[in-house]
Amino acid sequence: MRITSAEVAALLLSVKVSLFSLVVMLPPGLLVGWLLAKREFRGKSILNTLVMLPLVLPPVVSGYLLLLLLGKNGPIGQLLSNVFNIEVIFTPFAVVIAISVISFPLLVQGIIAGMASVPTELENAARTLGASPLKVFFTITFPLAHRGVIGGIILGFSKSLGEFGATIMVAGNIPGKTQTVALAIFEAVHLGQDISAFRLVLISTVLAFISIWITERITISNNRIY
Amino acid sequence: MSENTNFLLNIRKHFGNFTLDIDCKLQEKVTTILGASGSGKTTLLNCISGTLSPDEGKIVFGNQTYFDSESKINVPPDKRHLGYIFQEGYLFPHLTVEKNIRYGQSRLQRKNRNSISQVVEILEISQLLERYPNQLSGGQRQRVAIARALAMEPQLLLMDEPLASLDGGLKSRIIPYLHHIKNEFEIPIIYVTHAINEAMALADEAFLIDDGKITASGEPNQILASPSALPIAHLTGVENIYSLPVASSDQQRGITELEIGKQHLVIPYIDVEIGKSVPVAIRAEDIIISLEPDLPISARNILAGIVDEVDDQTMLSILVEGQRFSVKITHEARQQLEISKGKNVYCVIKANAINLLWQDS
Repeated sequence: MRITSAEVAALLLSVKVSLFSLVVMLPPGLLVGWLLAKREFRGKSILNTLVMLPLVLPPVVSGYLLLLLLGKNGPIGQLLSNVFNIEVIFTPFAVVIAISVISFPLLVQGIIAGMASVPTELENAARTLGASPLKVFFTITFPLAHRGVIGGIILGFSKSLGEFGATIMVAGNIPGKTQTVALAIFEAVHLGQDISAFRLVLISTVLAFISIWITERITISNNRIY
Repeated sequence: MSENTNFLLNIRKHFGNFTLDIDCKLQEKVTTILGASGSGKTTLLNCISGTLSPDEGKIVFGNQTYFDSESKINVPPDKRHLGYIFQEGYLFPHLTVEKNIRYGQSRLQRKNRNSISQVVEILEISQLLERYPNQLSGGQRQRVAIARALAMEPQLLLMDEPLASLDGGLKSRIIPYLHHIKNEFEIPIIYVTHAINEAMALADEAFLIDDGKITASGEPNQILASPSALPIAHLTGVENIYSLPVASSDQQRGITELEIGKQHLVIPYIDVEIGKSVPVAIRAEDIIISLEPDLPISARNILAGIVDEVDDQTMLSILVEGQRFSVKITHEARQQLEISKGKNVYCVIKANAINLLWQDS
């Protein structure tokens, strides 16, 4: 049985929104990860809690909260609709927002783990050698934290590919528009299209397996020189 | 340091129960700060380098104010241009030796950058430039760390126990490099250590630091004679340290005699002019106690003294010409010789058990 065009569309959409979310969320992820790993400031634990909240909240709850914010009567939704004449809800853009919120904690956790493993003394040494804080970040902290960062990227990306609960709340399940792989599986099972569901399940599982395997390889690899 | 680049340190920094309270002026080219671990030495260097901010005070190097709590000046570490050599080296593990050494050069304008060949040559690391830090031995790593600090052309070098992580043999191999640096670069050095011999090998002036405060300062020779140096001497495992003037020296007989009051202390020959003081160290267990002065033995020194103190354990304190000798003997020996306070005894010391702490080069 050949893969159907609807299944291909769902797969492509999942990959596209996940990549887009990653590109958008990586810079704030690095900033927040660096703040949480390397800085002491007031409200640090509140920031940490806010960032990690979607990890423990049921995704449906996160999605519902997003719906309240982004919906026609929500503060952000009203702003977007009045000022820019944009409707976010039930668009691919809503998918991006949903998966970004859900996968952000995983991305940040990897980045924090990577950056916390870089000794402060090395960064101080770089400062005494004339490097500004920004230069220290790009030449010392980031390169030495790269394993954690890549780990966070892969886990976050995998989470994005499979996100279901928040997506269906804010983006609905519109084939060809907002239907990601997870939503397509849900629909296929719902309609009794077991073979279609099975194909998508297989593809998702293989993708997830590959990401975790790559993460493991990177985190434990000793083939690098340091 | 020349007269117009002296270094004013006035620092107070609290950590829980510990308080660093320093007020001093460094004036010489190489200043040694000597103190036990936990005495605040590294905290002091971190305050100077700017990686740590004092609670209050002033840090002024020549005409540059690095820190002044009153006028709220706190120059960040990257703008102080001080070379900092750490005990653990802290080389960047993801960069080759060459890139490590060049790291601090990017602050210099391209046309002003000297090649790194001079430091590479002096520290003999040209073979190592392509390697990564984890491919280096401890001694090589520390030489690279020194080169990295020198290559940034700092106006001052801070050294935090640069030899402490190396074992004895390696230490003595790095010390000549430090001498080279002192002689070939016009950079003042602040050298922090708890090891008397390595510190004094370089120092023009010395400060003793204990529990966050400076307890003595002056020429290295004078410092060691001061009572406050004793705890540090004990730390390094040498109980007896004296600075004694040379009375006579005989190369043919292979001995030099030092004056200790009216008596003489014979040590292996050294090439030092008569009248000059040299620092010597004797371990407490290398001294034998005798009740008789005329002994048919090879030891060259039999010094008359009086028992001044007897502790509960095995240590005796004996006064020889006003100098205090700590001596370790067994409880049984003490009972047999009927050692008690005020008793006249003789300290028997082999010439070869007396170590020269350092010699001016």
